[in-house]
Amino acid sequence: MLEIHCHTLSDEVKEIIAFVKSRNGQLTGTVDDTMYEIPVSDIYYIEAVENKLFIYTKSKVYETKQKLYELEEILKEKHFLKISKSMLLNLMKVSSIKPSLNSRFIAVLYSGEQVIISRKYVPELKKALKGDT
Amino acid sequence: MTLREFIISRLQLFCFLVTMILVTSAVLGAVIAPEKELRYYHLFSPVIIAAACVLPTIITYFRKEPTIPEYIIRLIAELSVIEVLVLIMVSPPADVDIVYFRIMLGISVFVIYVLATLMMLYQRYLQSKKFTRQLRHLQKSE
Repeated sequence: MLEIHCHTLSDEVKEIIAFVKSRNGQLTGTVDDTMYEIPVSDIYYIEAVENKLFIYTKSKVYETKQKLYELEEILKEKHFLKISKSMLLNLMKVSSIKPSLNSRFIAVLYSGEQVIISRKYVPELKKALKGDT
Repeated sequence: MTLREFIISRLQLFCFLVTMILVTSAVLGAVIAPEKELRYYHLFSPVIIAAACVLPTIITYFRKEPTIPEYIIRLIAELSVIEVLVLIMVSPPADVDIVYFRIMLGISVFVIYVLATLMMLYQRYLQSKKFTRQLRHLQKSE
């Protein structure tokens, strides 16, 4: 159990709380200004869109204040992989991988959704599937 | 695809093309000029033509990821360059109609190109199957 004491709950403190929770297998995300705890195992992928970061679960999309590179570092051990400039994919939520025309691959998720794996990140995918990461 | 993977795929393509050109030469030769005899040095022709056909495929290597329309445009450009190259390199036998020979040759190049493209797509399909297998293994091991 970790206790954080502070006089005011500033944005910096919120970021510290989010970081600690993410280390413990939970991320913090908001939907309509309501904050939720999201178990990492429920996350399908995380995507950056126009300077905002969104967490996608099976049926909900949460916004998070954390940065993509921070989450990439934290979630690396939990089988999350960067598959494009703006996306982290949870490999545990991928049902299959199929080829695309222009040297890319498509990851089909258990939710039925499909995401593109960019050519540049295919070597990383190979390493991750061989257990090198 | 890294540059190394690209070079390996071009070598595979070269071997495939040599085989396909050899088969096509045998079929076309049997149809167009069955009485014609070949000399040993003619056996180098499939190797030379295949090497010449692999060079223009550099068109389809790009550092920046192409969109699907860009990729298709490059494939068409690649096929056009190969068609022109082969039509320039291969001359018809003396007693065969040139137009007929050129059409047959053009169709043959197109068929071989489609087969080669399908072969490479099949390799990528096999690679994606392997990824899916490894993925299942990773998910089960957790």
